[in-house]
Amino acid sequence: MSEGFTFTPENQKRFREILTAYPNRRAAMLPTLHLVLQQHGFIPPEAEPYVAELLEVPLVDVREVVSFYSLFIQERQGRHHLKVCCSLSCWLRGSDEVRAFLRENLGIPEGAVTEDGRFSWEAVPDCLGACELAPMAQVDERFEGFLTRERLEKLLQSLREETYPSQVEAD
Amino acid sequence: MPIVKLVSEFFGVEEARRLDWRLRHGGYEGARHALRDMTPEEVTEEVVRSNLRGLGGAGFPTGRKWMFVPKETTQPKYLAVNCDEAEPGTFKDRYIVEWDPHRLLEGIIICSYAVGIHQAYIYIRGEYVRPYHRLKRALEEAYAAGIFGGKVLGSDFSLEVHIHRGAGAYICGEETALLESLEGKKGWPRLKPPFPAVKGLFGCPTVINNVETLSHLPKIILNGGSWFSDLGVERNGGARLFALSGHVNRPGIYELPLGTPLRELIEEHGGGVWRGKRLKGVVPGGTSSGVLCADEIDVPLTFEALAEKGSMLGSGAVVVMDEDTCMVRALHNVEDFFAHESCGQCTPCREGTNWAYRILSRIVSGNGVPEDLDTLEHLASNMRGTSICALCEGARMPLQSFLTKFRDEFEYYIKNRRSMVSGRTPTTVST
Amino acid sequence: MPTINIDGVDLTVPTGTTVIQAAEMAGIYIPRYCYHPGLRIAGSCRMCLVEVEKLPGLQIACNTLVQDGMKVITNSERVRQARRGMLEFLLSNHPLDCPVCDQSGECDLQNYYMEFGRYRSRYFDNKTKRKKAFPIGPHVMLDQERCILCTRCVRFTEDVSKTHELGVFRRGHQSVIDLYPGRVLDNPYSGNVIDICPVGALTESDFRFQCRVWYLKEQHSICAGCARGCNISVHFNTDRRYKAQGRRVMRIKPRFHPEVNRWWLCDFGRFGHRYMDENRIEFFAEQKDGIRVDISCDEALGRVAQLLRGTLEEYGPSAVGIIVSPRLSNEELWVCRKLFVKGLGLHQTAAFDPWERPGFEDDFLLKADRNPNRRAVELTGFTADARELLEKAAEGRIRLLYIVHQDFAAPEAAELLQKAPAVIYQGTNWTRTAQQADLILAGAVHAEEEGTFTNFEGRVQRFFRCFAPIEESRDDLEIFRDLGQSLGVTVPESAATALKDWIGIDPDEIGEHGVLLSELSQVEA
Repeated sequence: MSEGFTFTPENQKRFREILTAYPNRRAAMLPTLHLVLQQHGFIPPEAEPYVAELLEVPLVDVREVVSFYSLFIQERQGRHHLKVCCSLSCWLRGSDEVRAFLRENLGIPEGAVTEDGRFSWEAVPDCLGACELAPMAQVDERFEGFLTRERLEKLLQSLREETYPSQVEAD
Repeated sequence: MPIVKLVSEFFGVEEARRLDWRLRHGGYEGARHALRDMTPEEVTEEVVRSNLRGLGGAGFPTGRKWMFVPKETTQPKYLAVNCDEAEPGTFKDRYIVEWDPHRLLEGIIICSYAVGIHQAYIYIRGEYVRPYHRLKRALEEAYAAGIFGGKVLGSDFSLEVHIHRGAGAYICGEETALLESLEGKKGWPRLKPPFPAVKGLFGCPTVINNVETLSHLPKIILNGGSWFSDLGVERNGGARLFALSGHVNRPGIYELPLGTPLRELIEEHGGGVWRGKRLKGVVPGGTSSGVLCADEIDVPLTFEALAEKGSMLGSGAVVVMDEDTCMVRALHNVEDFFAHESCGQCTPCREGTNWAYRILSRIVSGNGVPEDLDTLEHLASNMRGTSICALCEGARMPLQSFLTKFRDEFEYYIKNRRSMVSGRTPTTVST
Repeated sequence: MPTINIDGVDLTVPTGTTVIQAAEMAGIYIPRYCYHPGLRIAGSCRMCLVEVEKLPGLQIACNTLVQDGMKVITNSERVRQARRGMLEFLLSNHPLDCPVCDQSGECDLQNYYMEFGRYRSRYFDNKTKRKKAFPIGPHVMLDQERCILCTRCVRFTEDVSKTHELGVFRRGHQSVIDLYPGRVLDNPYSGNVIDICPVGALTESDFRFQCRVWYLKEQHSICAGCARGCNISVHFNTDRRYKAQGRRVMRIKPRFHPEVNRWWLCDFGRFGHRYMDENRIEFFAEQKDGIRVDISCDEALGRVAQLLRGTLEEYGPSAVGIIVSPRLSNEELWVCRKLFVKGLGLHQTAAFDPWERPGFEDDFLLKADRNPNRRAVELTGFTADARELLEKAAEGRIRLLYIVHQDFAAPEAAELLQKAPAVIYQGTNWTRTAQQADLILAGAVHAEEEGTFTNFEGRVQRFFRCFAPIEESRDDLEIFRDLGQSLGVTVPESAATALKDWIGIDPDEIGEHGVLLSELSQVEA
């Protein structure tokens, strides 16, 4: 086993459960990487040989997958990450203004992390599937829509105060 | 035509995603009926009769698709549920999974029973976190109640369902790329033939159906295929969800019979163009479907009618653009998306989407030259019918239709180095 | 067996043939990048699009199975336009390095452009920047900008070498082929990716900037690196001696053989050709008290004849030891037998180095026996290893050792050889053994001769002469012939007569895939 990254005991248990859903190990690639993401916040290089060994696949295959999918980020984001949707419907309803606001208010450009590590944000051309809320952004795990200046200000405030419900449940 | 409440029956009802409530309101009745009173062949016949067609974008007749799976096979058969909804403008499947996940699960049972499938995977896009949790809980409730497992709803039919989260790649909505992703690889679409019905997931016969398509099955089984087909028009059975967004007063989900005129969706149900503006253009079926002008919106929303117009019904995502929209920037926005999402496997898509995006970026930043328009047309024609999958075609259609229908805007932008419509500084998303 | 009509030509082909293969059988070449008969089908380059009657749109020929009655058109305007379109797409991001690219002259972007392209470029934007010209292994360089993402190299490392060094990372136009970080392309078959890369993305480090390919001549040969006898092509330059420090052999490429090596070659055979040009014994020589003096061939052979006659007269045949080698050709071995054993009556013979350690063998090409002609050595009666002869020589019981193309690497051998009364060495390179000899005869490498080897399956395969022996070195058969003449022994005149003598067929009767000994009626012993 490689040093540097291992699953916690709970995640090792989860991994074993994941395996039962598929007829071969390789098919567990995406859920296993999601588990790495969950544990670590991003996919560090050390996790790749670890996953390759768990799934009994060549090392290069893991990297192909990690580098292909947008969600398998390879660098740590801010504690709070805002993903601004810039697809057609959101662009039509003001995603440019949302971006300008964030650039100004967070003081960092797209793709960067604030110095205190609290915020990072990006503008994505992928539609996030919430066009009725346009202009919208994914804030941590949550979809936030109708992003007027006022809503954005309130949002950032609650994020700064750590009162924002970042994780979503079923309800 | 009035709004109907088929799959959207319980949208807005908070309790509908809990099993106990749902069982009291017809939940799993269709599946029960199929398992108890019908043979698998009879189920398939009803679905064929219903004229239900794939609602993820391709529009292939669902019953006919099931019939491609070989009857005699020693291999296990699979169902892959396509919830990788990522076509820009589309959010209907999210609604189904968030408001009425049990309807989808019931549809999964019906399809699996008809085809002889005992393992189903629901591929849900990674960005959908709350929908995933809702779906997961619904599935857990269903398992606990004996709805899934070795004896589905008390019958001797067995079915296991797993949820598999995607990780941010639009191409994984393409059915063979979805299979590759399920198998743990990067989402590179496969060559066809062989077709998934014969050689799909793990090399076994596989049906891939969209979330909404499957969600129609319970009512089709309960009310009969003819009922569904009569709701719509010829060859376009029933109703479907339309996701309306953009410059309308009431963006949202509208379930309407196939054949409803596009104008009705926008003006009557959507409340018309916002802020009292005039309509300029409409994307009728997700950005892959190109664009229609304001004078083209009397078209009935059917697969054939839109195809005739050089567009498509696609994913039912209708995006409205008002008179102040710069069509050059709109196309730039659309091609940015495709360049970002191209998987890169084949030449015309990998290079064509990127080249088109670069030219449009140059035009939008004020550095276009007149030859660019001919080049874009030339690119579009080389992207037609040359690629492995339909993403390239999805990039080509808007390229061709925006350019054709709004050429004057492009010419203006190139000549005057700014938009004909708005004076804002262009911003782009880098890919 | 379905029948297909391609461009008006009817053809019946075996079931399972694809259109691209059928076209080739009909003599029609459909352009392609990602398709390679030795690799699984990718269907991603889209260069092989053709028209198939009754099917809408164009189809890729590499993945379309021939159906009976199928009608295919490969030369319509529609097909031509598609090809031009795909080329234009590929060239849009291509750095156009031709003036500094080794692939120039054998590049499928150039070739297809000249044949199917010829359009005015309309690409005026920036091109995607990637890593340029960096080594990915001891023998291979990668230039990611030139790569057209045909993925042949990736499929090779997945399915053929099964070493998984390369992958396609990222997505869309940012897709890039690269090593896994920290890994090296160092499997024993790494050089094959150079062959299969249709463009100058993967190139041979040794060959980099050495010679333009249109200056190269080529000749068919057989690799002498192990007992498999892979079919090769020697690419050499003899007209422009100012290139590559005067080396003649520029590179080795595999030749297709359906049984022996298919399309492939190992790195030892591919890159192990320097010995043909470097550290060669270029002149006949005599060595006394540590001083070496070059002499003429006549003089040298005169001395050899003198030594042989003298030793035989004074001590008899048991005092002369002949050590041949499994690196000699069939013809040379046969002539050695005729000259030394049958002609001079010598019976102290040997062929093998007892200290030679076998190389590693795998389930692909490499054989543990790193010599090309052990079968023939055994069949011509040279079965012993040289230990006894060397010991006898060290004790003085053998008075004269004649070593032909055999090199002892072990220090034990050198020690024994040091004590031998007289040593004649006939060979090609200044090895330790050569340096210990009293009389050195400058022989030729097999690229300088024609002949045959017998591989591990008993397959007799021909190799041909690429260029004349270096400086004053000579074809070994000629040396034996001249020696025979002065000793009064008749030996076969030429390689052809020697082979006919041995296995009863003329070399011209051996087809391009060789002939198995088991299929021959006569093999002389």
